[in-house]
Amino acid sequence: MNPPSDPLDSLLDRWHEVPEPPPHLAPEVWRRIAVIDNRSDQPRFLARIEAAFTRPSFAVAFVAACMLLGLFLAEVRLARLHAERGAQIAQSYLRLIDPLLDKSAVKVAARQP
Amino acid sequence: MKHTVLVLLLGLSAGLLGHLGWFFSQRPCGSNDLDCQLEWMKTELKLSDEQFARIKVIHEESSPRLLALAAQVARMREEYDAFEHERTTSGQVDFLEFAHFVEQRRAVDRECLTSTQRLVADASHVMTEQQRERYLGLLGPVLQTGTHILMN
Repeated sequence: MNPPSDPLDSLLDRWHEVPEPPPHLAPEVWRRIAVIDNRSDQPRFLARIEAAFTRPSFAVAFVAACMLLGLFLAEVRLARLHAERGAQIAQSYLRLIDPLLDKSAVKVAARQP
Repeated sequence: MKHTVLVLLLGLSAGLLGHLGWFFSQRPCGSNDLDCQLEWMKTELKLSDEQFARIKVIHEESSPRLLALAAQVARMREEYDAFEHERTTSGQVDFLEFAHFVEQRRAVDRECLTSTQRLVADASHVMTEQQRERYLGLLGPVLQTGTHILMN
């Protein structure tokens, strides 16, 4: 009894010579594997971030940190604004309480700490 | 992903609201009127509410008089410039008129000095020693002007 014919048989019959592998085959294979590995790192990183944000404790800490950062930046802006406005108001106050005061003296005084 | 974006947006909104809320609530006064000046004094000298109320009354009582004097001083400076202009252009000066002007100016100067000194003394009286030191430090040029006028 003959076994059923395999479609591969005809192909194997046509394969007489094994071609020579291209030069640097192994390094090229490893290079491609490394490229695929690097590509798969990025989604893993995003997945980790997403996983962190799904944790309620992290989400609350993140919102609180944003709030604190906003307050800190506001405080920095306010400190600068207070210094500028303080000098201007000092000038106007000195001019109010002393009608004889000349402007140059007022400016010198306002710059004093 | 939706949850992450939601938390990010919530964080940004909280930061922005906190920033703007704190900034606008603590922002210094924008104009140069008496209320702003008094607010500035309160912060600068760390005045208590009671001290602030008394100092406010003192300043509100003196302010109209000081503003009127300032207008008078400005008018007299213009008059002086007119005298000077006449002297340089025509080469003549009405000495009687000028003497009268000088007398008026001295009277106004004395009045300014008295008003300023009274205001500073009354305000200082309300303050503690440290506050008074800081206040008088801020008034350096005023006090120097006063001394200068007194010497004349």
